[in-house]
Amino acid sequence: MRRLLAVALLALALPAAASAHATLTWTDPVYGKRIERSPSVVRLHFDQSVDVLPNAVRVYGAQGRLLSGRTRTSSDKRAIAVPVSRLPRGGYTVRWRAASADGHVVSGVFTFGVSMRAPPVTAAAGAGGPTTAEHLVRWLYFLTLALLVGGLGFRLLVVRGRLGEAGQRRFYLLVGAGVIGALEVGVLAFLLRAEDALQLPFVDFLYGDLSPLAKTRFGTAFVVMTLGYALVAALVFLAWLTDRERLLWPAFLLALGFASGLSLSGHSAADAGSSWLSELADWLHLSAAALWVGGLVQLAFVIWPLEPSLRRQAFLRFSRLATVLIVVLLGAGIYLSILRLPHLADLWNEGYGHVLLVKLGLVSLALAWGAAHHFLVRPRLERGAPLLAGIPRSLMGESAVGMAILLAAAVLVDSKPPPQPVQPLNASVEQR
Amino acid sequence: MQPPAEHVHWLFATGFLLLALCLLGRAIVGDEVWNRRAWRAYLWPSLLFGLGILMWPVMVFFTNSTIHMLAHGAWAQTMMLAGAAELGLLRGKLHARAWRLCLPLALAVSGVALLIHEQNGWYFSRAAFLHHALGWTALLGALFPLLIVFRPRARAWGAGLALTLVVVSVLLYSDRDVAPVFGHLSPLAGEPHR
Repeated sequence: MRRLLAVALLALALPAAASAHATLTWTDPVYGKRIERSPSVVRLHFDQSVDVLPNAVRVYGAQGRLLSGRTRTSSDKRAIAVPVSRLPRGGYTVRWRAASADGHVVSGVFTFGVSMRAPPVTAAAGAGGPTTAEHLVRWLYFLTLALLVGGLGFRLLVVRGRLGEAGQRRFYLLVGAGVIGALEVGVLAFLLRAEDALQLPFVDFLYGDLSPLAKTRFGTAFVVMTLGYALVAALVFLAWLTDRERLLWPAFLLALGFASGLSLSGHSAADAGSSWLSELADWLHLSAAALWVGGLVQLAFVIWPLEPSLRRQAFLRFSRLATVLIVVLLGAGIYLSILRLPHLADLWNEGYGHVLLVKLGLVSLALAWGAAHHFLVRPRLERGAPLLAGIPRSLMGESAVGMAILLAAAVLVDSKPPPQPVQPLNASVEQR
Repeated sequence: MQPPAEHVHWLFATGFLLLALCLLGRAIVGDEVWNRRAWRAYLWPSLLFGLGILMWPVMVFFTNSTIHMLAHGAWAQTMMLAGAAELGLLRGKLHARAWRLCLPLALAVSGVALLIHEQNGWYFSRAAFLHHALGWTALLGALFPLLIVFRPRARAWGAGLALTLVVVSVLLYSDRDVAPVFGHLSPLAGEPHR
C-alpha cells in the first residue's frame, strides 16, 4: 500500500515537460496568412521536442506539386524546417507529421498565400471535396434543424396552450431529438470536413491538429452553432422540466438565429457576388424550409393522434402559416438561384444546375401537394365537415417530399456553383 | 485569449468538489433530512447538468486533436444526461427506475473516454498517471451509483459516490503541466514552460 502511495506521489511530482503530445505553437509563414515574398524555408515550432519522420513537412502548390526539400530539425529539436524552391504568387499547402517524445505521431495541415490570400484549409491541396458521406450528414443536419426549429415554431405560432400528456411527450421527444441531433451531427460534419482536409489514416487522424480548421469560416460556424445549440438544449430541457413553455420562446429564437451559421459560412457568404442580402436570403430560405417541414412533422405525428377539434384548428392555422412560408421560400430561393446561375443555360450545362433542377422538380411536387391541402382539404375543414381518413398519410407524404427537398439542398450546398462572369469595367475606368 | 488547460481543469475540479460535498452531506444526514428543502434536493443534479453545459466550450475551443475533442464531447453529454435524468426523477417527470442508471452509465462512459484519450502508459508522466487514475476511478466509482439503484437507502454507497468525486476532484486539481497546487512544492515538478 505504502509502495503504491509512494509511486502515486512520485508520479504527481515528476517533471511534466513531456506530459502530452507535442502541440504546434507557431509556424513561419504564419498559417492562414498572406506574405508578399516567397519564403526560402518553412518552419514549424512545437511546445516540446519532436523527432523528424520521413517527409515530415511537405509543401504543395495549388496543383498539388511538391515544392519542398528534405526536412531538418533544430538543435533543441523543438522546431523542424524544410527548404522550398522560390514560390511564385499563389496559394500553398503545408502538410506535416512529427513524432512526439512519447512516440505518438501528431500531424496537421495549414495553408498560406504568396502575394494573395491564403486558401481556406478546407480547400488545401489534396483535399478531395465533399463526399457522399458529407452530403448525407448535411442532410441529417437539415432534418434535425427542421425537427428543432419547425417543432418549436409550430408549438409557439400554431398550437398554443397545453396538448395533454401524450401530446406534450411526443412534442418534446421530437424537439429533443432535433436539438441532440443538431449537436451530434454538427460534430460529425466538422470531423468529416477535417478528415478531408487532413487526408490522414484513421489512427493518425485521431491525433490530427484540428485548430487550423476551427479558424476557418466553417470552423467558426461550427463553434458558434455547437455552443448555441447546447444552450438551446438546456432551455428545451428546462421548459419540459418546469412546464414553463415561455422558455420555448428564447429556445426558438436562438435556434432560428444560430441556424444563420450555415448561411454565414456557405456559398451565400463566401462566393463571388455574395453580400449581406445573399446571406439574409439564404437564412430566410433555410428558416422557412425548416419551419415548413418541421411543422408538417408536428402536425402528422403530434397533433393528429389527439382530439379532432385540435386537429382541425391546428390544420387551419398551419395552412395560413405555410402560405407565408412558401412565399418566403420561393422568393429567397429564386433570388439565390439567379445570383448563383447568371445564365439560364447553366441549369442544363452545369452540375450545380442539374441538382437545382432536381430540387425544383421536388419543390413543384411539394407545392402541388400543399395546394391540394390548401384548396381541397382546408375549405372542408372550415365548413366543419368531418375529417378525411387519408389526411395523416397525406401529411406524411408531404413531409417525405419536404425531406427529399432537404436532401437535394444538402447536395446543392456541397456543390460548387459555376464561376461568376467577369464584371465589365465601368465607362469612366475604361476611358482612363 | 484561451485560458491554459490547467485552469479549465481546476474549474471543473471545483465543480466536482462542490458536487461531492453535496452528495457527502446527503449521505451523512440521509435523504429525508437532505430533501426537506426543495432547493437542496435539486442542487447536485443541477450542478451536474451545468457542468455538462460548461464542457461544450472546452470541446469546441480546445481542438488540438480529434480524440481530445471527442472525449470532451462525451463528458459534456454524459454529465448533461445524468443531471437531466436525476432532475426529471426528482420533479416527477420521469418514473422508470431505469433512469437512475444514467449516473453509473455517465461515470463508466467518462472513465472509458479518459482511458482511451490517454495513449501513454501509467508511469510515462504525471499527466498520464493522472489520466489513468481518473479513468479507473470513474470506472470503478460507477459501481456506487449502480448499487444505489438497487439499494437506494444504503448510505454507504452514497458516501462511496461522494468520495469517488472527491478523488476525481483532487486528481483534476493535480492535472497538467504547470500546476502550482502541487508543482510549486518541489523543484522536481519542472519549470513552467508557458
